[in-house]
Amino acid sequence: MTSTYAVSESMEDYLKTIFKVINKQHVARPKDIAKILKVSAPSVTGALRSLAEKEFIHYSPYDLITLTQKGENAAKDVIRRHDVLQNFFEKVLLVEQKEADEVACRMEHVVSPNIMDRFISFIEFLEICPRAGEKWISGFGYYCDHDGKLDNCEKCIELTLENLREKKRKGGNEAMVVKKLNELEPGNKGRVVKVAVSGETGRRLVEMGVTAGTMVEIEKVAPFGDPIDIKVKGYHLSLRKEEAAGITIEPV
Amino acid sequence: MGKKILVALAGNPNSGKTTIFNNLTGMKQHVGNYPGVTVERKEGYCIHKGIEMRIVDLPGAYSLSAYSVEEAVARNFLVNEKPDVVVSIIDSSNLERNLYLAVQLMEFGAPLVMAFNMSDEAKARGYQFDLEKLSGAFFAPIVETVGHKQQGMDALLDAIVSVAEKERNPRTRAVVNYGREIEEEISNVVEALKSEAPPGGYPYDLRWLAVTLLEQDKEIEKEITTSGVKDRVSQGIARLQKFFGESPSTEIASRRYGLISGACQEAVRSTVERRHTTSDKIDNFLTNRILGLPIFLVMMYLVFMLTFRLGEPPMGWIESFFAFSAEKISALWPAGSESAVKSLLIDGIINGVGGVIVFLPNIFLLFLAIAFLEDSGYMARAAFIMDRIMHKIGLHGKSFMPMLIGFGCSIPAIMATRSLENRRDRLTTMMVIPLMSCGARLPIYSLIIPAFFPQAWQAPMLWLIYSIGIILAVITAKILRMTILKGESVPLVMELPPYRMPTFKSVLLHMWERGWLYLRKAGTVILGISILLWAMTSYPGLPEDHLQRFEQQRNAVTAENITQEQKNERIASIDNSQAEAAIEYSIMGRIGRGIEPLLKPMGFDWRIGTALIGGLAAKEVVVSQLGIVYSVGEADEESESLRNKLIRNYSPLIGFAIMLFTLISAPCMATFAVTWKESGSIRWALLQFGGLTALAYLITVVVFQTGRLMGVGL
Repeated sequence: MTSTYAVSESMEDYLKTIFKVINKQHVARPKDIAKILKVSAPSVTGALRSLAEKEFIHYSPYDLITLTQKGENAAKDVIRRHDVLQNFFEKVLLVEQKEADEVACRMEHVVSPNIMDRFISFIEFLEICPRAGEKWISGFGYYCDHDGKLDNCEKCIELTLENLREKKRKGGNEAMVVKKLNELEPGNKGRVVKVAVSGETGRRLVEMGVTAGTMVEIEKVAPFGDPIDIKVKGYHLSLRKEEAAGITIEPV
Repeated sequence: MGKKILVALAGNPNSGKTTIFNNLTGMKQHVGNYPGVTVERKEGYCIHKGIEMRIVDLPGAYSLSAYSVEEAVARNFLVNEKPDVVVSIIDSSNLERNLYLAVQLMEFGAPLVMAFNMSDEAKARGYQFDLEKLSGAFFAPIVETVGHKQQGMDALLDAIVSVAEKERNPRTRAVVNYGREIEEEISNVVEALKSEAPPGGYPYDLRWLAVTLLEQDKEIEKEITTSGVKDRVSQGIARLQKFFGESPSTEIASRRYGLISGACQEAVRSTVERRHTTSDKIDNFLTNRILGLPIFLVMMYLVFMLTFRLGEPPMGWIESFFAFSAEKISALWPAGSESAVKSLLIDGIINGVGGVIVFLPNIFLLFLAIAFLEDSGYMARAAFIMDRIMHKIGLHGKSFMPMLIGFGCSIPAIMATRSLENRRDRLTTMMVIPLMSCGARLPIYSLIIPAFFPQAWQAPMLWLIYSIGIILAVITAKILRMTILKGESVPLVMELPPYRMPTFKSVLLHMWERGWLYLRKAGTVILGISILLWAMTSYPGLPEDHLQRFEQQRNAVTAENITQEQKNERIASIDNSQAEAAIEYSIMGRIGRGIEPLLKPMGFDWRIGTALIGGLAAKEVVVSQLGIVYSVGEADEESESLRNKLIRNYSPLIGFAIMLFTLISAPCMATFAVTWKESGSIRWALLQFGGLTALAYLITVVVFQTGRLMGVGL
């Protein structure tokens, strides 16, 4: 089934590039786009016109380019597909980053939703299933580099079982790169990365404007140490630290 | 034209919706309740350019996804009553979040007019709107208004009329484009809906229905019965969940914000960059980490001061008015007449009505203070400050205010629990409110404490009684939350609205609406109960032979050769004995006697029993009822003769037991009625009544028996 929102491959590339440029430099000019996509200025102009006609962008010659909401959503979807693919190539197939990126750039336009699903599930599965995991993938790397020799299969399985038991004892602990909202101090600012609060509350937080990409600032903490008062989209919202712990923030 | 149209006002809380409603309808409004829930339904009328409008002020909502009761009511109204025009009222100084609801309204397919309210505030903050662009982006006319200055009302009415008159053609293009992945699922669901439509079709816009289903809306899910659609929806949700790594409802909500911020980037310019508004500065002071709590306590103290101090003089006037009318009415009968009608009018009705009306000044002042705190924005801060403590006992920051009001009167307190979004929180709060020692119990303490306890003990005793109530409330709340009202504690996600000076009119209107509700609810119940109690204490009357005996005694005194003064004294004492005998003979006295064995373990006799039954009408009636059974004539809490009788008959331990029992036991009938109404079920009212009485009995028995065994206060 083809969607009425489908765009041609090159158009998707343009949208993706515009989105990235705007995110990085706040403004996008045709010449930036031309440079990144390695195409000539006239062909950029042509593409931009056609995108503007389809209401993906706002554009008039010599002006800055901005994405419409439709365009932004299309760009986001492409980027998400790209990330999944690149992630798979790099992390699972152990392909070099550059090559992974290039191939992902081409495949992102043609992968069907179904196959996309499978990619995502497969990566998840690899992470969860004790028979797979990091060691198994590095084993795959060894296999690729050494012309398909399999020596220590029995030992490997034993080791896997042992690791699984140990992991169960310890409980998982993951390294953190970003902060949780409840860890920030009054005056700290950050951009919301993910709202992982379950159920109705998570949805309500998003509906109140705590969406991914939004800037939040910790205004203050209540006299008894909880709840906290944050500023989001220009107004004050209070929430308990309990819920704040589910919101991932990239401090600015 | 003479056409009649239905207009709904929708908007976020604090968007100035009610002010606009008041402006449009003037005083031609009607406040009621939505069926089944205790959400106020306000309706008014207005005529503009010959078109009659019925205007409904919907409860404040942040979104149509029905998170709170108010939001559910607002959405059901739109779904069921299909207003001709929906006015989306938007606080333009807080544009993005306010537009979220507007976008949902548009998706719903409501014929929309947007009112950019508080546009003066937005301008002061340096915002400039390109209204033409915004109106294009959201497919709806926009009118700038300033509610509290009555600006823009005519333009708003014009816009309403023109939208109402416009031909309604189905929207040709989607309001929000959700991107390829979500759009594909939407069109899949729409296809499924089309192929399995019920006869007559769905009463909704299909795209809206599809989006709402993908958002996993529980109410709307119920309306889908065909398995094809259900399967399609759950497949779609599962796929999107996988693709985005989070629930589609979150992604859908965040894409709506995408549209909004896109439109705002283009059409809103901010000329002044101001980091901190005046409101922020006030907040730095009022919710300060160190000063916040003391300021809060002072505020609460002021509220009670205002309520009770300012309420005193009018209470006096009302009392004298009723005393005066009782006198006038009794003068209609010849002196000494024992007419039952006279007794019903004076002892039943006037006393009963007077008992309600006398509290009106307090109630109205309390509501006035609450309306001010609410409209100014401080109420949310009170919840913010107290949430930690309330959360510990399984409640919500917003429970604090109702519990505090409970020290004044349980009835407004229970009505104030409406601000709690979650039903479990609300019920728990409602159940424990009577443990907050209300104002009507104070006369009982002020009668008993000076009678039984030395000067130095009096203040600590009062403090002890209040503290016992608070501690029991905390424990009871905790127990309720662990047993029958078990469940996840409700998260606090609450807006702290900017501080605003409330308008005089809106505060008064607020006060009046609630006061009137109290009067209607409590008034009718208290009146009924007073008449019932009157009948119970008056009937059956003493039999003829008893009456004759008292009459003979009186005649004997008259015949005796003593001074007139002595005669009067003797006759008064005979009258008192007669009254005592009459009470004992009445239904009330018989019930008192009947339950005496039950009361014994608490140290109470039948007289206290009758007084406690009287307390069901209103707690302070315990005092006057004790006066009746002890035949000291008119009694109040200052009555020395009643105190003397009490000292002669009871020990300090019993005195303490009386206070303890009246503190904890069954709330008054008006509270019962309000709990019944507000909880929507008599079961909760019965549970509150029975549970608290059982608790009171248990505690009082334990305290009395322990005290007796240890020889304390005998």
